[in-house]
Amino acid sequence: MVLKLYARKFVSGGTAIVALVLAEKQIPFELIEIDLPTNQNKTPEHLVRHPFGQIPCIDDDGFVLYESRAICRYLCDKYPDQGTQGLYPTGLKERALVEQGASVELTDFIPYVLQVFRELYLKPSHGQQTDQAVVDQALAELYKKLDVYEVILGKTKYLAGDEFTLADLFHLLAAPRLADLGVDIWSERGPNVQRWWKDISTRPAWLKLRAEGVTETTTTN
Amino acid sequence: MVLKLYGTPYAFGATAVVAMVLLEKHIPFEFVLVDLKTGAHKTREFRERHPFGNVPCIEDDGFIVYESRAIARYLADKYADQDHGPRLIPVPTKVQERAVFEQGASVENVNFFPSVLKVIQEKFEKPLHGETTDEVALAGYIAELSKVLSVYDDILSKQRFMGGDEFSLVDIFHVGTGPGLALGGIDVMISTGPNVARWWNDVISRPSWVKLQAEGIKSSV
Repeated sequence: MVLKLYARKFVSGGTAIVALVLAEKQIPFELIEIDLPTNQNKTPEHLVRHPFGQIPCIDDDGFVLYESRAICRYLCDKYPDQGTQGLYPTGLKERALVEQGASVELTDFIPYVLQVFRELYLKPSHGQQTDQAVVDQALAELYKKLDVYEVILGKTKYLAGDEFTLADLFHLLAAPRLADLGVDIWSERGPNVQRWWKDISTRPAWLKLRAEGVTETTTTN
Repeated sequence: MVLKLYGTPYAFGATAVVAMVLLEKHIPFEFVLVDLKTGAHKTREFRERHPFGNVPCIEDDGFIVYESRAIARYLADKYADQDHGPRLIPVPTKVQERAVFEQGASVENVNFFPSVLKVIQEKFEKPLHGETTDEVALAGYIAELSKVLSVYDDILSKQRFMGGDEFSLVDIFHVGTGPGLALGGIDVMISTGPNVARWWNDVISRPSWVKLQAEGIKSSV
């Protein structure tokens, strides 16, 4: 039975990285849209799938999984030989470096990106005022971290070595949305960071996803 | 060559997470104390190992890994054989079990950790810097953490531990932050629900954790 993806068409957040891995790995899926404005993510039916009431989650022939970064790892472990190779290597040291980079994304990158996103988008959308001081502080911290990325990316092409992996891919979860809001966090960073961001954010599968939204594919397509 | 663990010596924080894994897995190690008060983690030499200037990191016969959750996975994957205590992580070929593990790991990193960190910063770290705890803000952060733990109670009614039915790294990831709450009279880890209480007592009564609390982190050789 074709994998079911409970998400929405809009390419953002956890949905974005799961949809990208599905595309990179050429895994067919059915999209079941969960409408957030009408709280479809909080229905008893959805809470059975996802106890935190979020999207995305998947149902792979009865195996239900949530947390986008876990879903991405699962899809790579299940389909190692098809589509883009090497996203989540199985070698002991190679995998350790991917996990190191993935942890850096969660510790040193996304908290600041999400703070900016919250102030500039989420708060105004609920009638609350942006606190510019919070934005400025978050960006200052983020830029300090990206200075370290500059050092790392001066030694290797990508975060976990010379191949594109989940450690890089996870950075597409929220950062592209800042550009949508007119916040440019990249063009004044170092040359290595800029090279890396341009590389990962112009991958054909990502550009297609951003242009078309999450589009289900089945084996008959 | 014996593995080196660089970090802080207390039963608290990310170094303690790695130390507990080393004890659970009977992995011999040399502990190298990094004195944060003197800025030993920010030196050029230290940043050769950990470019972000943090602790912990390990050096395993020349192979360096930083980020406690990445180090933990590397150690558990490397020492997966029976002579090294409980497995603590499903093997990658057990794709669904490993996915449930990663789901739990993501829950800790994305839902639990940011919430508990806010409580710890407000209650403990502010006074250390001469600031006063904002009791109203603290109450809000505790309420947020309680909401997360309510979902934990639901999850733990269906599986015995946070990474599945076996004790694993996912549970260990919580010891860097969870145990400190009780010291401040914050009892959410046992008062939120019966399943969370049962689980938390299981985690903190592990002999490895009891030993770390009694003795701190020391070289095993």
